[in-house]
Amino acid sequence: MNKKKWLVSTLCFVIAAVLLAGCGANNDANGNGAPASSGNSGSEKIKLTLWGAVPAEAGPQAVIDAWNAENADVKVEYVRYVNDDAGNLKLDTALMTGQESDLFINYTLTRLQKRVDAGVAVDLSAKTDYNIDDQMGPDAALWKINDKYYGMPTKKNMAFFWLNKKMLDDAGLPVPPLDWTWDDVQQYAIKLKKDNVYGLLQHDASFTNTMDGTVAGLGVTKADGTSNFNNDLWKKYFQTLHDMMFKDKSTPEYGEQLTSKMPVDTMFLKGEAAMLNAGEFIFRNANNLTEFPHDFQIAFATTPRVSADQKDFKYPGGVGDVLSVNAKSKNQDAAWKFAKWYADGGMLPMASGGRIPSSKSVDSKQAIELLLKGVEDKYDVDSLNKVVFGSFESFQLSVPQQVVDARKEEYEKYFLNKQDLDTTLANMAKRHQEYIK
Amino acid sequence: MKRRSWIQKQGWVGYAFIMPNMLGILLFFIVPALYSFGLMFTDYQFANPNYSFTGMDNLKRLFQDEQFYGAIKHTGIFLLSVPVSLVLAFIVALVLNRSVYLKGLLRGMFFLPYISSGVAVAFVWMLLFQPSHGPINEVLRWIGIASPPGWFADPDTAMYAIDVVQIWFMLGYNMIIYLAALQEISTEQLEAARIDGASTRTITWKIVWPLVSPTTFLLLITGLIMTMKSFSLIQAITGGGPSGSTTILSLYVYKTAFSYYEMGYASAISWFLFAVILLITVIQWIGQKRWVHY
Amino acid sequence: MNESAGRMKTKWLVTVLMLIAGVFMILPFLWMISTSFQSASEVFSSWLPSKLDWSSHKRIWTGNYNFVPYYLNSVKISVISTVGAVFLSALAAYGFARIEFKGRDALFLVYLSMMMIPPQVIFVPKFIMFNWMNIYNTHWALILPGMFSIFGVFMLRQFFMSVPKEITESAFLDGAGHFKIFFRLILPLAKPALATFAIIDFSWHWNDYENALVFLTSPKLYTIPLGLQNFILENNVDYNGMMAASSAAILPMIAIFLIGQKYIIQGISSSAVKG
Repeated sequence: MNKKKWLVSTLCFVIAAVLLAGCGANNDANGNGAPASSGNSGSEKIKLTLWGAVPAEAGPQAVIDAWNAENADVKVEYVRYVNDDAGNLKLDTALMTGQESDLFINYTLTRLQKRVDAGVAVDLSAKTDYNIDDQMGPDAALWKINDKYYGMPTKKNMAFFWLNKKMLDDAGLPVPPLDWTWDDVQQYAIKLKKDNVYGLLQHDASFTNTMDGTVAGLGVTKADGTSNFNNDLWKKYFQTLHDMMFKDKSTPEYGEQLTSKMPVDTMFLKGEAAMLNAGEFIFRNANNLTEFPHDFQIAFATTPRVSADQKDFKYPGGVGDVLSVNAKSKNQDAAWKFAKWYADGGMLPMASGGRIPSSKSVDSKQAIELLLKGVEDKYDVDSLNKVVFGSFESFQLSVPQQVVDARKEEYEKYFLNKQDLDTTLANMAKRHQEYIK
Repeated sequence: MKRRSWIQKQGWVGYAFIMPNMLGILLFFIVPALYSFGLMFTDYQFANPNYSFTGMDNLKRLFQDEQFYGAIKHTGIFLLSVPVSLVLAFIVALVLNRSVYLKGLLRGMFFLPYISSGVAVAFVWMLLFQPSHGPINEVLRWIGIASPPGWFADPDTAMYAIDVVQIWFMLGYNMIIYLAALQEISTEQLEAARIDGASTRTITWKIVWPLVSPTTFLLLITGLIMTMKSFSLIQAITGGGPSGSTTILSLYVYKTAFSYYEMGYASAISWFLFAVILLITVIQWIGQKRWVHY
Repeated sequence: MNESAGRMKTKWLVTVLMLIAGVFMILPFLWMISTSFQSASEVFSSWLPSKLDWSSHKRIWTGNYNFVPYYLNSVKISVISTVGAVFLSALAAYGFARIEFKGRDALFLVYLSMMMIPPQVIFVPKFIMFNWMNIYNTHWALILPGMFSIFGVFMLRQFFMSVPKEITESAFLDGAGHFKIFFRLILPLAKPALATFAIIDFSWHWNDYENALVFLTSPKLYTIPLGLQNFILENNVDYNGMMAASSAAILPMIAIFLIGQKYIIQGISSSAVKG
């Protein structure tokens, strides 16, 4: 009996020891073969890994399936990362190894900048066989770092207001003009709100669009080099939005939206809001009539400016989805070949989710057809063409993440009624100032 | 006398027992920790190979950083959850150990929060604490509180609401360890006390509580350490907001390291955090002789 | 057997009170299940689904979301890590609790202090090290560190210390060595503590998101917490899918708890019930 126990215990110990010893020798066999040689001898089949934040089934899978069908010698695999701090950390560690990521898509200038600093993005301006400025248009230049392209923008970014045309008609309101303002928004929202229907909902990602567009025109700093975060246009905008929340009650109070995790796109498509401030990413759900059935037409309006006489307002949008080649990749040539293919039409399967290619080699009609296939009658064509496919002067925000976060902390206090407007503006400028040096 | 020297001669056996574990701790904890200690004196940005030695700059910056002071305050409030969940867990463990039916089911119910950690539960707490139509405020209004707190929507109360969630989360963990400890208490001892006419309260706090004091000590220390390090629940519920009111030290470290990429400064905050926990632990270690009975 | 009616009444009363508290404890879990049966447009608008929608549950086992490989990976990593951690921790805990040797207490404090290092700052050094050891992007990057638990050493040490000294001393006098005492006396006595630690340790490995996130990049190596990330879409969250997958992810944890608690509560039936 006792001997038996001894035997069991010893066995456990041996297993543990074997496990311990095993891992030293075993790691390659047990791994995935990824660290194994992926040399560029040519005869060997090349494997590329593409990292992006779009869920595979929303287009990327179809893109790489198409590539793999055409290119027997270069196989591309897609790895999806979530575009938050954790997901970017994952990508950045993978980039450093140079074996796990050959191509990657950046979504903000700040993240791209970090990767350029880390030396993991290939300078694409040096390539002679592809002119990014020519192909992608003037907006592409906003993504230049030190006057060079370390990634190529591949899609048109779009941010705008989604409008429930039926509600607009019922209230006798026309589709707003392209140069409408927040005063107009406020009036529209008052007329559109009903019991259980908000006049306006805003997606988190679009909440700061007007703020950003304003300073993009004014400059983030004043002529004397101090912060411009206390400008009068922001003040007016904040005041208007605050009134809409607490006086008109035409848009959810900030705290309410914060704590109920409102699924704003669902609410809009269910008819619980007349206007929605968001971007092209809503198309995916809006086009999905089985899960999100709706019987109204959707019209579009531009991101409103603060005041009618505001001259240098810029629009969120331009181009995005910036594709880079990893400087540590062993297969940079193959990766570059893929990148060109992707930008010049390879990415078309993603159009149905709202990603319209920015390359001039792509027939935009084809992309738009893909986007609207089967749901043409759900959109107001006139405003769709003017707003979604119109061209506006755009910007890419280039302030450090710390400043963006500090600004948010301060305006949250205002919208939660913990701080008055003047203090809020003063604090935003003060905290911004700490990073200007 | 003879036995004592025999034990001393057996000293090497002690190392033999510890060695396998210690090698791993050395490799996976101590070495990386030393590395991060070195980073504290540099301006290392994550992934960027170019960095330079900056001496004490990060530490100086630490003491001028208002967000850092805010984070200390929030961490302090967060730590209140540790003793509360400990006492609650002790009571629950006692009750579940003896005076109820359906023990297995109840134990499972109380332990479930601890294992179902994740994003999923965060949303529920959001909804429970929702200021205008969440069940918690509905109840508060029903019992006559006209304007109940805004909880997660109010920077003044958000941290306390987080405490409630943390207590809910830790209760099962503390309970299960207390349950294991209660197994070691002999029933005879308790029966004898009961026959002597001691009340349940006396038995609980004068006999059982001291007997489980090594466990309480364990839970207090690990509870404080784990609570100071943990932030995923907060990250999922509030992301540190509103207005940064729930940004505790560990979350601040995380943001500094992986959102701002300031690895050197993040190391400085971490080592400050480390120093604080170490101090608390050493004080408790010294103080344990007064209340922990082995 | 000889319980009076009055005592039974209080016992039932306490049971009912605890059940109410228990329901509150599992409320988020119930909500999770409820949401997993709702349709996409229903999420967050009501507590109960208007009709049972199984599509989310079907979805997580097929096609793009297929959770089977994630499950297998999680099981493999959690089981090996936990077995290793329990055994290695018990060994070290015995050393710290029952053997006197030079520098023991100082060493133990160094141990403890390592528990206080915030994991975020050692990610990068660990990453560099794993890359060098050639275990980055393999399961070993999780299993190896997972087998060394400071908490386990601390917890088991506390338990071993409260095992009456008389028990081991008489064994010493009979000429037994430390290894014999450890395997034959301490381990069987500490079953509740070992089982408790195993449950807790298993839950850590099972739910470990951050290590898996940083150290695994190939999708086929992914564990469940990484799989759950699939439901975070670009600008919103697929709540139904996430809740369905989360409910499924918790089942093995419940199984482990049920198996483990048999050991935690051993002995109660013989002593307490008669009380």
